[in-house]
Amino acid sequence: MKEEPGMNRLLVVDDDTELCSMLQEYLEGENFRVDMAHDGDTALQMALADVYDLVVLDIMMPRRNGFDVLRELRVHSNTPVLMLTARGDDVDSIVGLELGADDYLTKPCNPRVLVARIRAILRRAANVVDASRETDSERLQLGDIELQPGARSVLRNGEAVALTSTEYSVLEVLLRSAGQVVSKAELSERALDRELTRYDRSLDMHVSNLRRKLGPLGDDSERIQTVRGVGFLYTVT
Amino acid sequence: MHSLFWKFFFSFWTALILFVVATVWTTSHFLERTRAQHQQQSPQQRMLELVTEGQAAADRGGIEGLKIWLRQIDRRRAVPLLLIDGTGADLLERPVPARIEARIQRHKRLPDHTRGAEVTRSRPLIHLDDGTTYRLIPDYQSLTLGRVLRRPQAMLMPLFLAGAISALVCFFLARYLSAPIRRLSRATQQFALGDLDQRIGPAVGRRKDEIADLARDFDHMAERVQALVQAQQQLLSDVSHELRSPLARLHLALGLAQKKAGIGVHQDLERIEREAERLDELIGQILSLSRMESREYAPGKGPVNLVELLDTVAADAAFEAGPRNCKVVVTESYPVELQGIETLLHSALENVVRNALRYTGPNTTVELSLIPDPGRVDSVLIEVRDHGPGIAEDLLPRLFEPFVRAGEARDRESGGYGLGLAIADRAVGLHGGSIEARNRPEGGLSVLIRLPIGAITAARAHQA
Repeated sequence: MKEEPGMNRLLVVDDDTELCSMLQEYLEGENFRVDMAHDGDTALQMALADVYDLVVLDIMMPRRNGFDVLRELRVHSNTPVLMLTARGDDVDSIVGLELGADDYLTKPCNPRVLVARIRAILRRAANVVDASRETDSERLQLGDIELQPGARSVLRNGEAVALTSTEYSVLEVLLRSAGQVVSKAELSERALDRELTRYDRSLDMHVSNLRRKLGPLGDDSERIQTVRGVGFLYTVT
Repeated sequence: MHSLFWKFFFSFWTALILFVVATVWTTSHFLERTRAQHQQQSPQQRMLELVTEGQAAADRGGIEGLKIWLRQIDRRRAVPLLLIDGTGADLLERPVPARIEARIQRHKRLPDHTRGAEVTRSRPLIHLDDGTTYRLIPDYQSLTLGRVLRRPQAMLMPLFLAGAISALVCFFLARYLSAPIRRLSRATQQFALGDLDQRIGPAVGRRKDEIADLARDFDHMAERVQALVQAQQQLLSDVSHELRSPLARLHLALGLAQKKAGIGVHQDLERIEREAERLDELIGQILSLSRMESREYAPGKGPVNLVELLDTVAADAAFEAGPRNCKVVVTESYPVELQGIETLLHSALENVVRNALRYTGPNTTVELSLIPDPGRVDSVLIEVRDHGPGIAEDLLPRLFEPFVRAGEARDRESGGYGLGLAIADRAVGLHGGSIEARNRPEGGLSVLIRLPIGAITAARAHQA
């Protein structure tokens, strides 16, 4: 981004080199700058350099697998991560989201869908960045939580809580509608920038990450309630 | 000694010997006791009692009364009693043994005074009105086994004992032989129902005979079948896994080609893309099927609202049904919830409904209903009815096996792989339920899904 403004830098991590180079070619055709890594160690090193706007991370890799990379990465950085999981392995996607991935796609996938997902995550991250420049006045406070638009973090009782940009988006949407139930479909469109698909566990995982990171309310009640069959509700005390 | 043949042989032999020994022993015991009674417990006194009884009978009924009394006595007592008249003949015309005759002769020859007063008093004589005198003589020597056996009253106790002992022997023998066979048959049934983990070895223990051999052979066979089935599932799953990498590359290559291609090629590329996506879907189905078959489904259970489930599936399917002017309608439902894996139940129902839509005639309705199972209290019954041609009866039981299709040509056209119903079957099976298909008498196919609901969720559904 420093050298070629307007072009997003992606890191594609997959042990299948042939697939990687095709992915590189395809994504470059979509106006991204793409670097590649074929094993977990290299991937982690490159990702920690913090020059990438997004990491596309394959879970199934020999030696250090995608989960290890993600876990390690999240200790130091909140760079958006899109996971590629084995088709039908719901557990993988749930574990990945729990570890702080922003979204997941099952592999094999249609490259058009992949590009759409990448764009959605980047838009979300960009919103956060933009907001920090312009609307510093529009900070959001509710109870012990203070949302600092753009800072990519949230203050709880004045202390910073590290959130991924996706978690931040989800929290922001919920906070702006605090006290009201936000349907899953609406939350998906406003926070994830895509339509809700059936059996998509992403929202549940992001919300449960938020609960874990933010902890319960002062009176020990659930901060974000799940309204079964409808959606989520941020509790107003 | 360990073989079943010898077990049969020796146990029957033992039972028979035991029976005979018990019979002989009790009989001889009985005989001895009887004899002892007659010889030691003042036989004269017993004779006197009998004589008094007989005299009374004679006084009441004359000679006929005496005959009746004698017959009764004879039936009741093991030791025969003879009633001899002056000519030496028995009242009941039974043969009189020579030694008895000799004894009578001896008595007659003795002069009266030598017999002594006591003997005279106890002389066993019964007098009739017409002056005839009968002498009552017990015939101890004729106390034979045959005579005793013909008198059941006398034999009741020994018979009962012998019967009880042999019954006991036979009972344990029968149980010893039949229990492992029953166990084997239960295991076979379970095995046939799909529980490939059934083994009998532990239940047989250290037994060594043909039944134990059979049990071990069964275990052997079960192991082998299980290994084969697992290998087959593993192969299917492995192949599908391996197919994913080339498919992922295929998708990308296709994407690149589409970018570079001129207008003329686009249509062909789209066709290739469609096929690639079908392949994707097929592989996904195979993988989820094999995962369900190996029962390693991890996502936790949660409450599933069945009414919602039916409505969602019906709404989704109705969208697909539009082009053929078909409808999908929920005709009947009631609020009920169960603990389960929603994604699995959804795909089960969806696959069944899709299958129904595939075969139902144009302009017809596929009906879904959810009712309490009339057969069982703690389960629900979901029925999916179509208005199609139904299915050949011989195909019905195989309908839920992978890659079994009802109509070969038509099916491929409509995009089926023959896996949908197999997935539905495994998914329902994972919830402890069952699925079956039957042709409706009025035409069309009806698929019945039975799902057990826990007691708690049933109660909660009641409150709702």
